[in-house]
Amino acid sequence: MTKRKLNFDSATSLLYPLIFGIVILMMWQCGVLHSIFRTDEYILPYPTRIFRIIIENFDKILENVNSSVFVIIIGLAAGSVLGYIAAIGATVSPKFGKGGLTVISAFNAIPIVAMAPVIMNWTKDVSSDAEVRSTVAKIIVVTLMCMASMSINAHRGLNELKPFSLDLMKSYAADNKTVFLKLRFPNSIPYIFTALKVSVPGSVITALVSEYFAEYRAGVGRQIRENILIAQYSTAWAYIVVACLIGIILFALLLAAEGIFLKRRKS
Amino acid sequence: MKLRRTMALMAAAALIAALLGGCGSEETSTKTTETTETTQATSMTDEERIVAAAKEGKVGNWGLGNEYEIQALLTKYGQSTDYLVQSFDMDGFDDGSITLASAMTYNELGLVVNDYEGGYKYGDSVGIIDMNDHGVAMLEDNIFCKKSFAEQNPNTVKAFLSASLKGWEYACNNTEEAAQIVYEAGSSVSSDHQKYMASEVAKLIKTDTKGNAVSDYGKMDPEAMQQTLDLAKKYIKLDDSAASEKLGTLTLDDIRDTSYLEAAKAGDFGTPEKTDVSIQLKWLPQAQFMGYYVAKAKGYYDEVGLNVNIVSGGGDIGETTAVNNGTVDFGVTWVSNLISANSGGMDLLEIAQIYQRSGLVLVYKK
Repeated sequence: MTKRKLNFDSATSLLYPLIFGIVILMMWQCGVLHSIFRTDEYILPYPTRIFRIIIENFDKILENVNSSVFVIIIGLAAGSVLGYIAAIGATVSPKFGKGGLTVISAFNAIPIVAMAPVIMNWTKDVSSDAEVRSTVAKIIVVTLMCMASMSINAHRGLNELKPFSLDLMKSYAADNKTVFLKLRFPNSIPYIFTALKVSVPGSVITALVSEYFAEYRAGVGRQIRENILIAQYSTAWAYIVVACLIGIILFALLLAAEGIFLKRRKS
Repeated sequence: MKLRRTMALMAAAALIAALLGGCGSEETSTKTTETTETTQATSMTDEERIVAAAKEGKVGNWGLGNEYEIQALLTKYGQSTDYLVQSFDMDGFDDGSITLASAMTYNELGLVVNDYEGGYKYGDSVGIIDMNDHGVAMLEDNIFCKKSFAEQNPNTVKAFLSASLKGWEYACNNTEEAAQIVYEAGSSVSSDHQKYMASEVAKLIKTDTKGNAVSDYGKMDPEAMQQTLDLAKKYIKLDDSAASEKLGTLTLDDIRDTSYLEAAKAGDFGTPEKTDVSIQLKWLPQAQFMGYYVAKAKGYYDEVGLNVNIVSGGGDIGETTAVNNGTVDFGVTWVSNLISANSGGMDLLEIAQIYQRSGLVLVYKK
């Protein structure tokens, strides 16, 4: 009985957004959206035209997607690992830690549009190949953005332990390493996913915006901006749709990973 | 515990030091190669310079619709059309990461050469490659509006052109005063740079792509317009096949109409249908657009019964979009931008060509 109910719930939780999406698409194609937003089919092109452009330029779009996704994944991984290391550091030495984390989280407050040019300038001498140094710069920007949310969340996960659990470990004379491996690390896993839920969409946006400022022309974000500036809204929308797909797919992967990890942990 | 703490600190410090040290040492190595290159490169022709910079991948442009002349130039000398994306300052040129940097004669070139505030003080130690000399010039700043707006408000369009051209004529003959007017109207740059810009802009308005003097302000020279359209068709790459097809079929009649200009010059127009109008500039307030500021300050717009609001550009919403939306009535754009906008489905019309020659150059260190 419960199993069947669960299936029904998960079916509707998929069905309702799907129906909602289809209704929006239909309103869009029929021009209802245009009259709501008082815009024309030029600024907001019809879905059929957008999808035709995606199909016609599939190879070129894929090339740009590769460039963006590479930056997103590497930056996300590096930022998350560094953020976690920072959280461990802050746990080991709380005196410096608190201040250090505040500094890291301050990076989160810097707008990407301000940080990207600074980092682009900083990495100018990394390589003589513009593509390499642009990629490095974009990765660093994404890394800095992801570090902040991971370090703050992981720090909470490493320190907000169940009452008396730390006392219990101490009463067993567990050393720091054991406390970390048996208590702190497992306790931090849900917090890691909380952090990733912020930094996955954040890293997509950061990567796309930092592409605006890169010396080397590549990436989905760059294409969106260039096409809008030369008044090619249909093509820009094709890339906007692709950017949304990247975000949705990465987020879905994250949710799937969370399901696997947290379920295993419960059982 | 204490030991571990210091170890962690040391590791972090070592990492940061390695990162900074690595960057620092590479910086010095690139600087030394630069100096040897510049000493060799004193007596090269334009073509040799273009080929050398293209081979190194060090030709810079801002992109975003400003790159077509550079791509045409690179193609002319058998190079690939790839270029480095240049930021809106000249730091990339200054530090040598770009050896052939795009510059507008009236703006970036002045910053490179001059020693006033914000200048890079290069003086005569830099040379330029002029697009006009290499037959790849495309026309830039014009005045345009929506085709339907022109049809519905012909007298407004003619009156606006008449007063604007009067403003341009006065500005070109009195550049210092014009620069001062722009500066007082809310300039984005220093007053010294504004004066430099005004004098350089006047040259672009009074000389055509072949170097001949122009007295007929605003004229749409068919030959220069056709060259612009031909190069646009070749170098504007549109992913949207519908837009790309339309680009291929565009003719001059699809992008400009000379009748409004002729009537404006003859003074042959009645009372404006719409009296409160606005013009969207392509960029921030500066002497690049001095004609409109002068026409407003000197009351030329009032004389023809118009109340004109000058809207500064520089944001991410392009002037073509703003005019097509009806947010503003007139706009200043480059002809190539108007061509790509019309290919994408906008219905814009050039009504006057203010700049008679290309202001784009590639600047290099001698």
